[in-house]
Amino acid sequence: MDVEVVPVTGELNVGPQHPGSGHMRILVKLSGDIVDDVELDVGYVHRAVEKLGENRNYMHLIPLVERPAILDSVHMNMGYVMAVEKIINVDVPERALYLRSFAAEVNRIASHFYGIGILGIFLGHSTSFMWGFGDREIWVHILEALTGARVTNSYVIPGGVRRDISPSIIEMTKKAISYTRRKLNDWKKIFFNNPTIRARLENVGVMTKDQAIAWGAVGPNLRASGVYFDVRKAEPYAAYSKLDFDIPVYKEGDGYARSMVRLEEIEQSMRILEQIIKDIPQGPILSERFLKQIPPTRMKKWVEGQGRIVLPGYYASFRPPKGEATSRVEAGRGELMYYVMSDGSAKPYRLRMITPSYRLIYVFKNLCKGVRYADVVSIYGSLDYFPPEADR
Amino acid sequence: MDFISILRFYFFYPSFFDIIIFPGLILFAVILLTAIWFERKAAARVQMRVGPYYASKRSGGFLQLVADALKFVFSEMIIPDQVNPTLFVLAPALLLMISILPFAVVPVSIIPKSGSIFSPYFHDFYDPNIGMGVLSGFFTQYNLVLVLALEAIYPIFIIFMGWVTNNRFAILGSVRETMLSVSYDVLIFMATVSLALEFHTLDIAQIVQRGIPGILANPFAALVFFIGMLIGSSRFPFDIVEAETELVVGPATEYSGFLFVITMAPAYIGNFIYSFIFVDLFLGGWLPFTGLPGAAYTALKAVIVLFFSVFMRSVYGRYRLDQALRGSWKYLFPLSLFALIFGMVVGFLWIA
Repeated sequence: MDVEVVPVTGELNVGPQHPGSGHMRILVKLSGDIVDDVELDVGYVHRAVEKLGENRNYMHLIPLVERPAILDSVHMNMGYVMAVEKIINVDVPERALYLRSFAAEVNRIASHFYGIGILGIFLGHSTSFMWGFGDREIWVHILEALTGARVTNSYVIPGGVRRDISPSIIEMTKKAISYTRRKLNDWKKIFFNNPTIRARLENVGVMTKDQAIAWGAVGPNLRASGVYFDVRKAEPYAAYSKLDFDIPVYKEGDGYARSMVRLEEIEQSMRILEQIIKDIPQGPILSERFLKQIPPTRMKKWVEGQGRIVLPGYYASFRPPKGEATSRVEAGRGELMYYVMSDGSAKPYRLRMITPSYRLIYVFKNLCKGVRYADVVSIYGSLDYFPPEADR
Repeated sequence: MDFISILRFYFFYPSFFDIIIFPGLILFAVILLTAIWFERKAAARVQMRVGPYYASKRSGGFLQLVADALKFVFSEMIIPDQVNPTLFVLAPALLLMISILPFAVVPVSIIPKSGSIFSPYFHDFYDPNIGMGVLSGFFTQYNLVLVLALEAIYPIFIIFMGWVTNNRFAILGSVRETMLSVSYDVLIFMATVSLALEFHTLDIAQIVQRGIPGILANPFAALVFFIGMLIGSSRFPFDIVEAETELVVGPATEYSGFLFVITMAPAYIGNFIYSFIFVDLFLGGWLPFTGLPGAAYTALKAVIVLFFSVFMRSVYGRYRLDQALRGSWKYLFPLSLFALIFGMVVGFLWIA
């Protein structure tokens, strides 16, 4: 149905102090109710991670690089550590790889619940907002039990992981999986099959396959446009080559497909977790090269007694050989890439991180052209754009 | 007559008692607090939370709203630079006043000739259609039309408020209200007209006294009226005018402090008055009671309708403006036309 719109043009300054803008300013050029163009003024939460990276040694960078996306910190951490590992050339034991995948998938579930919750509140659906954050909590508790912190876990270290999994955590995970499976049915009833939510998401912000590739979309947003790409499959890292999981792909490319991809990824992540619990091999959780540097008394008390790594002196300020490395991981919001260049000193010569949200800025700008003003928040939420991650 | 009986006469005079005491302003103030409290508490139950709690733990945080209101009253009222201060302060007050006005003509009960506390006013509020007195602030035989007319003024003042604050979000909200008010007024009008045709009267009291609840006589009109009521009072899923993530608070964006409290109230009051009309037209009103118990019964049912409509918040998201307009013109308006014809047929066959 065509609606005659009286041409009234104007600019609307949405944000950064606005309930629907996040940490950025969206200059919306409106003509009537139709958005002509949006200008995204990003950078309000810029932390200069890349520049700071040149002034800190490699270990001290771990808590810093995971800061931009604290709700997705295991991935941010793991990508960086994988690049460093390539430079210092260290092998990671099998059990540590499984534990990395474990933490990453738990984190992915938590991150997706966060995204769906934010999408819900953008569409005025407060129940999904609260449910998203409530259901996320049990997964955050697992991360807390495993790593000692709810977010910003700093769990992955060069050569392995910091803590071993315990039977009680496995028990917690099993409970969380059965709870979330039950809860996802309720989610489908109240959110994904809710007529208001479907009306707001279906055929809104449609991104075709070609557009998604041309605009550089990543992650669930790319897969919702019909592109079968996931770093876990394309370039397996951690234990993903040994795990059996599917990549949900939708071809509609609208907001509803994007949120359905997230929902199904939660299901797939739980499938992965079940396999990890079943298959996880015995063995050390840190590379032999670092493990033998731990003093015997501390080794006995902490590593063998409690399954915790006491960082050996090597980490204090190690000087990797000259070289450069890139790493790719599939973070919650999509492909995350690190480039680390070492000049032989204790600090990286250059650290480059390309975060998934950073790539979504252009996608967001393009998708907003020609939609109605109310759809700007709908697209924003369905892209799961996270400003601190984009600003770094 | 001694002084006490004179005082009693004026105290229970319907134009005063009905409007100010019960179920008028005082009940409205209490219901406003209760409805917001219920809205938050029910949503909290759905959303795995506790909701308001710390202000008066014994009553489940009931006083939280009072605490909030007190906080608002003592916070600064910021008046923007480039507005007319008089109009800026006046707009919410006018809105509140207009929103409560339609209640003056809504009948809440009937006055029997004797036996009720209102019986002395039987002749002053005599309704020749039903042969009884009608308990309402101001009685006319055409109160159905008058209620609709007074309700139709309300959106004008929302638009006025948005215009006066000179804020783009407020103006966008006002424009949305303009478009929505046209559509929901038509829906409510059609629903009530189909009831009027069905019951052959423009008197709400006579519709109630017929003894057939409108929801049985014309369920389509009830559905249309209820959705029109949701749109008209900005309840979910039609919280389009004040869409928080899009328009901050819509027309009330620039208001702070006590003025903000005043801008919040009219939507709930409007909803409550629509609930009264809904109860009278569709849910049998005060029957089988009369006098004060009848008024209490009507108010109780209206509160239930109000609670039901505020509960929608925990179930639904928010429609887009064009979706709400399309829904009301493309689907509900034809349904209301059908309700009109249905009402005429049923009124001819059943309600002679």
